[in-house]
Amino acid sequence: MNFWEIGKRNLKEIYRNPVLLGFLLGMPVAFMLVFCAAAGGGQASPIAMSIVDEDLSQTSSAFRQNLGNIEAIEVNEPIYSEKSQAQEDLEDGRISLYLFIPSGFEEATRTQQAINLELAYKEADPMMGLQLKPIIEAVGFEFLGTAPPLNVELKGTESKIKNPAVNFYAPGIVVFGLMILISTAAEIIAGDREKGFLARMFTTPARPWDFILGYSLPFIPVLIISTFIYLGVGMALGLTVVGNLGHAFLIFFLIGLCAIGIGMIVGSLVKSESQAGVSWIFIVPIAMISGTMFTVERMPSAIRSVAGALPFIHAVDASRAVLNGSSFSAIVLDLYWLIGWAVVLFAIGILLFRRTMVS
Amino acid sequence: MNAVQAFKLTKAFDGLVAVKGIDLEINKGELFSLLGPNGAGKTTTIRMLCCLLKPTNGTASILGYDVVKTPFAVKKLIGVSPQDTILSERLNCWENLALIGKVHGLSSNEVRGRSEELLETMGLMERSKDQVRKFSGGMKRRLSIAMALVHDPKLLFLDEPTLGLDPQARRAIWEYIAALKGKKTILLTTHYMEEADLLSDRIGVIDEGRVVALGTSQELKTNLLEMHSMVVSTENLTAEVLEDLRNKYSRLEMAKERLRISHKDLDFKEIVDYLHSRGVTVYSAALEQPTLEDVFIEITGKKLRD
Repeated sequence: MNFWEIGKRNLKEIYRNPVLLGFLLGMPVAFMLVFCAAAGGGQASPIAMSIVDEDLSQTSSAFRQNLGNIEAIEVNEPIYSEKSQAQEDLEDGRISLYLFIPSGFEEATRTQQAINLELAYKEADPMMGLQLKPIIEAVGFEFLGTAPPLNVELKGTESKIKNPAVNFYAPGIVVFGLMILISTAAEIIAGDREKGFLARMFTTPARPWDFILGYSLPFIPVLIISTFIYLGVGMALGLTVVGNLGHAFLIFFLIGLCAIGIGMIVGSLVKSESQAGVSWIFIVPIAMISGTMFTVERMPSAIRSVAGALPFIHAVDASRAVLNGSSFSAIVLDLYWLIGWAVVLFAIGILLFRRTMVS
Repeated sequence: MNAVQAFKLTKAFDGLVAVKGIDLEINKGELFSLLGPNGAGKTTTIRMLCCLLKPTNGTASILGYDVVKTPFAVKKLIGVSPQDTILSERLNCWENLALIGKVHGLSSNEVRGRSEELLETMGLMERSKDQVRKFSGGMKRRLSIAMALVHDPKLLFLDEPTLGLDPQARRAIWEYIAALKGKKTILLTTHYMEEADLLSDRIGVIDEGRVVALGTSQELKTNLLEMHSMVVSTENLTAEVLEDLRNKYSRLEMAKERLRISHKDLDFKEIVDYLHSRGVTVYSAALEQPTLEDVFIEITGKKLRD
């Protein structure tokens, strides 16, 4: 049970260190406050609108084009072909509103029958629908000439997600927070090597596995408690948990293990506690390209491939998806990816850490 | 069986040979000092004996257990206070002692009992519940030594136990070490000759990775010092007298009115009588007690604290 004694000591060294805790807890919480507050303002113009085009005709396409030319509207890509998909995305908070062009649109324009379009929006935010209705009707009027009449029906949908911005940022920042464990673990290990504490402990009868467990297990309660705190703050800011919170925890736990593994690797390779600070050189860029704070959709495909090979983007995507209501089957692939990385990183971490014990 | 037995112990780092075939025998219950300047190989020797470094060549055993073949048997028997005071800075005294005690297999009760005893002896009880990062250098060093003792080891390694401490703190630690004498086998390294002189049963003088002299402090001083010195305070010395003395004795140093004469077989009376006969006033004359530093300079030709 020597590992228990070493682990207990390490846990105390962590929770009694205000600087380490400041980074680990303070920074993500501050980020969450800033990002969620920054995203909490009113919708900026132009209004992003999705379109469900069931008609998929030349006329409907031309009509969409005309809508896209209006400054006040930004038409989201891709165009939905099925209403159910758009409705699901609206409910899950991925889109704010959509315009439904029913099949028979071209036929109706040709035969000059009345046309009913449907503008679906979230009930929590009816203003956008009200703003857009006259604009769309005006475009329709111009596009079609005087007749036939084009009616835009407003249809409110109650979204389960109260604040889509918080649901976007919070899971990403939880993953970013857990990435800080890389530097926490690296600093503890490198510091104890630099100051000779490990060497002193090596003169005791503790065995190599006591050290490996004693220097990895204490980070697990830290990881669990940090996750609770990050999520707690997220919820206080309006994070809506639509899906299974347990699945989200599983994802956060796995990415936390990956971070501890990387921390052990860095801690074993660098020579001093201050050198362990180099971990920030890759924590921040990887956090950026993994979409913890910004959407990666507009990043070049090469960068997205790099991010996709690493575990973090999978944790970000999967946790966002489960929190927004996706089923377990939707995140299974991401989970495999995370488990694989956690195993590999831990194995390398143990190998390198063990190597430091032999001289 | 000796407490420590080393035979041709050698350690090379990337071509630099730090320890060059040291032979060492330390008896049970003895306080043995390795005395030498910085970089002489003292710490490297201790690190090999503590199973922290594998010897490049040679063998060493602690109470019969080989340090390379049976390191864990050795680690159960030893207590180590490393050169740099290494503590868990955010733990208090009790927690630091418990960590080492428990890793050595002591029960919670045993740890508590031993810690209480040691904290009292080392005068740390009052601050025992404070995180040790707030302690002074002397307090940290005392706790570090207590940590090496908590599991009641058979052999205690003290690597430069008073390095960098002020004279008061140093004296306090000397008292604790002196109190341990005879109860434990102790291997101490130091580059303070006063420390080695005061505490040791035997001293091994180490320089450039070799043990260059071995014996009790007295043995080293009497056997190894070929020259003896005397200091005379005088007045009205003439150039002629000085010339005479210079011809007769090996070394003559003159500072103000103080004359220092060094020679292999120095005859106190002969010198004083000669000075009187030449009409020189002698205020005082005394033979100089040799120090370990003199011994060291004699053997290695260099100052100890280089």
